[in-house]
Amino acid sequence: MATEHDEGVPAAPAALDAVSVERAFRDRPSFGIRARLVLGFLSFVGFAVVVIIGAWILLARLEDRLRFLEAVDRYTMEIQQTRRFEKNYFLHGANLQDMQDHLAEARRLLVAAEPDAAKVLTATELGRMRRHLDGYESALARLVAGAAGPGAAPAERSAIEAALRDNGSQMVAVALELAEKERASVNRTLALFKRLPVVFLVLLLAFSVIVADVLARQMVRPLGRLMNTTQRIAGGDFTPLTPSRWYRDEFSNLALALNTMMRELAHRQEVLVQSHKLSAIGTLTAGVAHELNNPMNNITLTAEMLREDYATLSDAQRLEMVEDLVTQVARAQRIVRNLLDFARESEITTERLDLGDVLRAATGLAANQIKLSGAKIAVEVAENLPAIHGDRQALSQVFVNLLINALDAVRKGGRVTITAGPAREAACVQVVIADDGCGIPAHVLPKIFDPFFTTKSKGKGTGLGLSVSLGIVRQHGGDIRVESAPSRGSSFTVVLPAAMVPRVDPTGSGPPTPSPASRPAPRA
Amino acid sequence: MERRLQVLVLDDEPIVGKRLQPALAKVGCDVEVFDAPRPALERLAATRFDIVVTDIRMDDIDGIEVLEKVLERWPDTRVIMITGYATVELAREAMAKGAFDFIAKPFKPQELRDVIAKAAEALGFAGIAHAVVGESS
Ligand SMILES: Nc1ncnc2c1ncn2[C@@H]1O[C@H](COP(=O)(O)OP(=O)(O)OP(=O)(O)O)[C@@H](O)[C@H]1O
Ligand SMILES: [Mg+2]
Repeated sequence: MATEHDEGVPAAPAALDAVSVERAFRDRPSFGIRARLVLGFLSFVGFAVVVIIGAWILLARLEDRLRFLEAVDRYTMEIQQTRRFEKNYFLHGANLQDMQDHLAEARRLLVAAEPDAAKVLTATELGRMRRHLDGYESALARLVAGAAGPGAAPAERSAIEAALRDNGSQMVAVALELAEKERASVNRTLALFKRLPVVFLVLLLAFSVIVADVLARQMVRPLGRLMNTTQRIAGGDFTPLTPSRWYRDEFSNLALALNTMMRELAHRQEVLVQSHKLSAIGTLTAGVAHELNNPMNNITLTAEMLREDYATLSDAQRLEMVEDLVTQVARAQRIVRNLLDFARESEITTERLDLGDVLRAATGLAANQIKLSGAKIAVEVAENLPAIHGDRQALSQVFVNLLINALDAVRKGGRVTITAGPAREAACVQVVIADDGCGIPAHVLPKIFDPFFTTKSKGKGTGLGLSVSLGIVRQHGGDIRVESAPSRGSSFTVVLPAAMVPRVDPTGSGPPTPSPASRPAPRA
Repeated sequence: MERRLQVLVLDDEPIVGKRLQPALAKVGCDVEVFDAPRPALERLAATRFDIVVTDIRMDDIDGIEVLEKVLERWPDTRVIMITGYATVELAREAMAKGAFDFIAKPFKPQELRDVIAKAAEALGFAGIAHAVVGESS
């Protein structure tokens, strides 16, 4: 099979597509089903890890806070203790040493809690605490110094007392306030922890539903597409699958395999078509050879008589004879050329075709089979029949096959009618080849399109005619229907989609009607 | 004057009659040509011809039918069939049905004249045979 094509002849679209489609598939980044599953589960693990880390951080913070709260409580207690001794001191003049001890303890606690405090408190709050503690300490230091000396001025004593009371109460207030705030915050965090498992569960549920849905969608959609493709292939449409996603996965490989299979099928089909064509040519050749005898006989008779009577003929008579020679040679040439055109092995080319032309060519090719069968044949082509798109040779092969079948079926004096007209299906045309021949028994009817099924004697029928014809018609997006009964003869209907119709609109406003992509309904 | 051989030529290719007419007239035949079987049969129903030359394969009525009709009406008329490549079977059938001889397309005028001469001889027209031989020599 020739794969290169002549210049100017449009390449078979399928052959070109196959290469670019394959490249398109291969160029896509690979993202397999396994990778997607792994990614799906990893995202679960990631989600869980994030939640666990979050909970862990929150717990650590809570621990800090509890420790700090404890420190604050103890600090508050020390301060309150100090203040109690302060009261005693001012009432009874005792316990100065105790005050000092407790204050030192409070200071120590504050210093120890400072790293934790820095996490919980703002700098100003911390500064305020420190300032009051410092104030209280210095006042106490002055009191200690003053109390040691016997002649302490009462004015100074009362000033110290005021500073102590002021700073002391502030310290207690701040510490209590702090503890209160901290406790509230800890309670909030605890409440959050109580809700956390519920939220986690809900999120997890939503997340798994989404992931499962996405994964399922990614499996189901390409599966559906592949299923449609197999149906399309069964219908004889071998257009390759094109990538529909940005990545490549196992389904892409399956699509590539299907494309390869379709290429192989198309190739097989071509081989079958070609081999049946050869057998059809054999049949036609016998008829053509016979048909050639007529012009040859005319030429022989005319040439012989011209030679015999050359001297006695008038110029006009000689001229007439020579003209007969010329027309008979042209006739012979036409007969041979028809067959040669049909026999020529050529690339599949789609072009706009007039069905009438194709039918005339087919009946012309079978002219002698028609004559020999002694059948009457009538060709009727509806006016204004839309053109079709297709391969001229392949379609004339279809009609020759159907016509020869019909001629084989009729007896001498039978009738074969070929009618071309609009089809029942929208935007389709049909050719009905009907005969009043032997018809097909019901139990045979389902088998006639099978390859190699024939009821004809060996050497006469290969049984490929109808299967090859159906293959060709389906490749054109059409179909063949058959109706037959032994008493009524048979009628084969070839339905083909009409080409784009640039309607010859008298107003000139009508845009071309595109032929719909829809194919005629499959055979029942 | 000696009776001339009456010949009817029937072939749906008009050129055949056109060329055979002078070719046979030259050897002393009265030739009538037809390129459709129906008018030829009408003529044959009315008139007797010594020899009928007919093509076997024709659209309407084929040569076998012509042969049958002629022999039915004029049993001693000699019928010569013209056959084509794929009609040898038919030629055999014709011979069985009483045709005098057959000649395959494509043929030369002289070949037909020879067959006609044979037929004429069989009919007792010695003159034709001589004329034919004289012409060809
Ligand atoms: N018009 C018809 N009338 C009756 N029977 C038919 C007609 N067309 C097809 N058939 C039946 O269908 C069978 C299969 O036809 P098909 O054209 O596929 O093969 P074939 O004609 O036997 O062989 P081939 O086409 O190779 O000469 C025929 O053998 C015949 O029995
Ligand atoms: Mg067939």
